[in-house]
Amino acid sequence: MSSEPLLSVRGVHRRFRTGPTVVHALRGVSFDVAAGSMVALVGRSGSGKTTLLNVIGGLDRPDAGTVHVDGTDVTALDEDGLSRLRREKVSYVFQSFGLIPVLSAAENVAAPLRMARVAPIERERRVELLLELIGLADHARQRPAELSGGQQQRVAIARALAASPQLLLADEPTGQLDAETGLSVMALLRGIVESEGVTVLVSTHDAVMMALADRVIGIHDGHLDEQAAGPPYAPAPDAG
Amino acid sequence: MKRWLTRWRLALHWPSIRGRGRTDAGPLLLTAAVIAAVALLAGAAPPLLRAAADNAVQDTVRRAGTDSNVLVHANWERDDGPTGGRVRMPRLAEDLDDFRAQATDALGPDLDAALLPPIAAVHGPILNLTDGSVPRTFQFTYLAGDAGGPDVAWLAGSPPGPTVSDEYVETPYDGPPWPVQVGLSEVDATALDLGPGDRIPVKDGRGRDRDVRISGIYRPADSTAPAWRLAPALLRPVPGADGAGTTRFAGLLSRESLPDARLAVDEDELRRTVQFAPEPEALTWDATAALASQVVKLKAASGSSIDRDQSLKWQSQLDTVLRDASTRNSAASAQAAVLLAGVLTATVLVLLLAADLLVRRRTPVLSAARQRGAALPDLGAELIIESTVVSVSAAAVGLALARAAAPGVSWTWAVPVVLAGAVAGPAFGTLAAARASRDRRQPANQAARRWIRATGELRRAAVEAAVLIAAVAAFVTLRQRGLLPLDSDGDTNELTGDLILPISALALGALVGALVLLRLLPLGARFALRQALRSRRPLAVFGAAQAATTAGRTLPLLVLVSTTALASFALILGATVTRGLADGAWSTVGADARLDVGADAEAATPALAERIAAAPGVEQVVVAQVTDSARVFSESTLLTPRLVVVDTAAFQRLLATTALPDAPALTRLTAPRPGTGDVPALVRSSDGALRTGMPLQLPRESGPAIRLAAVGTAPSVGGTDDVVIVDAAALADAGLPVAANTVWVTGPGAARAVSNTGVAADVVLRADVLRAQRVAPLTAGLVRLAWTAAAVLLALGLLGLTLAAAAGASQRWQTLTRLRTLGLRPRDARWVAAGELLPPVVVTAVCGPLLGALLARLTLGPLDLRLLTGQAADPAAVLPWWLLGLVSVALLAAAATVVPVESALRRRDRLSEVLRAGD
Repeated sequence: MSSEPLLSVRGVHRRFRTGPTVVHALRGVSFDVAAGSMVALVGRSGSGKTTLLNVIGGLDRPDAGTVHVDGTDVTALDEDGLSRLRREKVSYVFQSFGLIPVLSAAENVAAPLRMARVAPIERERRVELLLELIGLADHARQRPAELSGGQQQRVAIARALAASPQLLLADEPTGQLDAETGLSVMALLRGIVESEGVTVLVSTHDAVMMALADRVIGIHDGHLDEQAAGPPYAPAPDAG
Repeated sequence: MKRWLTRWRLALHWPSIRGRGRTDAGPLLLTAAVIAAVALLAGAAPPLLRAAADNAVQDTVRRAGTDSNVLVHANWERDDGPTGGRVRMPRLAEDLDDFRAQATDALGPDLDAALLPPIAAVHGPILNLTDGSVPRTFQFTYLAGDAGGPDVAWLAGSPPGPTVSDEYVETPYDGPPWPVQVGLSEVDATALDLGPGDRIPVKDGRGRDRDVRISGIYRPADSTAPAWRLAPALLRPVPGADGAGTTRFAGLLSRESLPDARLAVDEDELRRTVQFAPEPEALTWDATAALASQVVKLKAASGSSIDRDQSLKWQSQLDTVLRDASTRNSAASAQAAVLLAGVLTATVLVLLLAADLLVRRRTPVLSAARQRGAALPDLGAELIIESTVVSVSAAAVGLALARAAAPGVSWTWAVPVVLAGAVAGPAFGTLAAARASRDRRQPANQAARRWIRATGELRRAAVEAAVLIAAVAAFVTLRQRGLLPLDSDGDTNELTGDLILPISALALGALVGALVLLRLLPLGARFALRQALRSRRPLAVFGAAQAATTAGRTLPLLVLVSTTALASFALILGATVTRGLADGAWSTVGADARLDVGADAEAATPALAERIAAAPGVEQVVVAQVTDSARVFSESTLLTPRLVVVDTAAFQRLLATTALPDAPALTRLTAPRPGTGDVPALVRSSDGALRTGMPLQLPRESGPAIRLAAVGTAPSVGGTDDVVIVDAAALADAGLPVAANTVWVTGPGAARAVSNTGVAADVVLRADVLRAQRVAPLTAGLVRLAWTAAAVLLALGLLGLTLAAAAGASQRWQTLTRLRTLGLRPRDARWVAAGELLPPVVVTAVCGPLLGALLARLTLGPLDLRLLTGQAADPAAVLPWWLLGLVSVALLAAAATVVPVESALRRRDRLSEVLRAGD
């Protein structure tokens, strides 16, 4: 890990107005995440996890505070700057996969590379590598509807990794999966942190996920409530 | 038994019903507006058409003139005298009155109510006037209505009186001609140059002199009185009544001279008849079948005309006229029903789409309600209450407006629309709520996933097969049996059950076309995607991927293609009828203007034609002798076609330079025919009585009949199908000089040139005929309905496009937002959105009008449009390309507007909100 944090969140406030009611989703949230680590964001429904991820990824703008990703102030970027940020540095994994149904698994993984206008040969090589990484090389030509939920989420993770982002934001990636499949997806994310050096910030209710994280950050009513994650993650002796 | 089956009472949550209604007031009001508008059209069209049909029946009967009269005749009581002679019967007029009353009683109440008071007529034989070189005929006639004969003013002399003062006189059969007194109209008297006291020089068919004396000269008090129509020669000479080149004169008998008229001719030569003219205003379409049936019964009950008894013998074309009118009405009604069925089908599809949009908006609420424990029957009942209130009240408004705008209202056609509006939303909503409580996870088992896909495909194929089979059956039925009622007695304005299938043919055809495109569009989209994947442009890939993802959406394409095809069909129908009317006007008049020259001015026709030809703006002038009901013999059969004697070359030029169909066979009329002395003729016949190759004879007064040889098929002249055309020069060479009575004129100045010619002639202008045909009740009604249907269908198509865009908007912007999380720029997102919206619109814009044209080609024949346009054959479909193009442009313009508007509206949405809504 480098000494400079990859992600720096400072004094972020976010309020939502629903009719006469104002909901404080984030109240002065500040924290840093070091590069190459896996951080679990935990909290009850409505605690502000997704809002925080959205603010970090530039999908939402905070009312106050700053977010820096690899030294770039996300909150100061215009739409084109945010688009560039998402192409180059930040990627997402959603609960509902979000794959393009008419494209094969390989073509879905290649989508960000097309967006970044990566040369075809390089694109194919990268896709092949990622499908190998997620264990779906044999399913490259299959469409999402022909894959199980876990396989679809794996493809979504591979797609998120395609453009070699520095930060991967995963919003409850196992929410639609059964426990066993969810565990395999979590293990995959953990493996990716190890093998790709990507920084992963994942919101979850899953205790197993928390156990796999280097660090657990709790959110309660918009406040940060960092807590010990038990013993830090240690790879199994036979893990590569 | 499931729990909900055991429940007997629904637990309705009224605040939810009200809340959902308030939240979705926009879509609900839109649904109501569609239902109200279509209910207005469907409610008003049938009564308007029924009123037009009643007018059409009356119009047809008026146009038929004396053909629609009911005529009854009976033989006289024999007048044999006690000494072997004939007895003068002084009470003959009273006998005639009794005969008239007897005939009236026999009509029956319904037919009696539909006819004007009867007029009894007594006609003598056709006698030949012997004082001139041109053939002229004479007939004496007695007319008597309930109030006596027609009023006349005697200008000279006196009314006809009895020949003898001793009323009961017997005269020998071989005695001298019995004298009879008649009155002459002043026009006839002038033409014959005779006056009171003069004897009219006439002989009967066997060359025997008849003693007819003029008692006085009269002028009719009202020459338009119905009685005169039975014997127009009593007013003025009538040309052509007894053959080509002849002129008929007539003398008026009185009650006093009638007994003498009987003795003046042979015993069986004086015919008594009673004529009943129809009263058009009393006729309605509903009554036509019963009236026609009554006329047929009277005719069937008639004694034979060769019997010597005095039984009533009925003759009338009224049954045929009524049946023709009724057939036209049935055809128009069926044509209107086809259009309405199309509009209703499109409306039902749009309502399904609106329900789809509504349910997509409500899915989160319904899912939440279901997850909170609401039972499906309760949710379904709540939705049904809401949709029923909306649909029924909207339909009531539409039907009330229809009642205000039309002479009645028909609710039958509104039923499918109300049902669709009431049922679609609750059905979709209940299904959405049911899905919320199902496990939505994709099965991990590949075989299970394949099974789910196969089941879905099988369901879809079954529905498509059902529609296809129904469409094939509908088209087969339509083409084999047509749209007219099979049972002539069941020829009423109500559509019978056996017509439902053929009437649905158009709508089903449009649906099948849409289903075919629905199968092809995904294939095309996938092909485009494969091509795009080879390109280096990411937008092409994502646009094509978005198109391929959404290409299989059923309802939007069904709505777009069906509405566009049906709107195109309606436009084609309107254009075909409009063109058909124009062609019919050309056919009826034969040129831009026609002069029908009176008999006394025939000699001036050639000079008149030269004057017209010299007028500015006149292009062609063709002179002809046209004789209706000319007597032509085919072997021993008497035929009565329209005889046209014309300068062939000029006539051919006229046909070649106008919208009239060319007749290349005309050249055969002037081609040399070595060996035979027969005059070549072209013939045309509706029933095959006149055929090419058959020998014909044209009788003439002096000399043997002229032999004609039918050498080819004649064009229709004046809209008549029974025609014989002969070259004027050839006929003159054969010994029959031409007395031209018709002048056809073309050119922009034709109308002005034929007006004020100073010659007694009737002017018929093509523009006037066309105008009259356009405002004729049925044609005007149908054309108006066709344009209205086209506009409504186009509006439904555009509404469908908007609804489809709105229904898919949430999903589309979810996808676009996910692409933006991959780095897609905001300004590029609209091109990807266009990738979804444009393909179905482009496909519809191209294929919809083509499908409409195909449907027109398949269905216009069985629709019997010729019955409305007055053409000889079914009109070919006229494709108004600029109107069809306008439909396509309207769709493309709407799609081109939807994309940027939607982008502008969605730009305000934060990406996080879009993604959150999707999760």
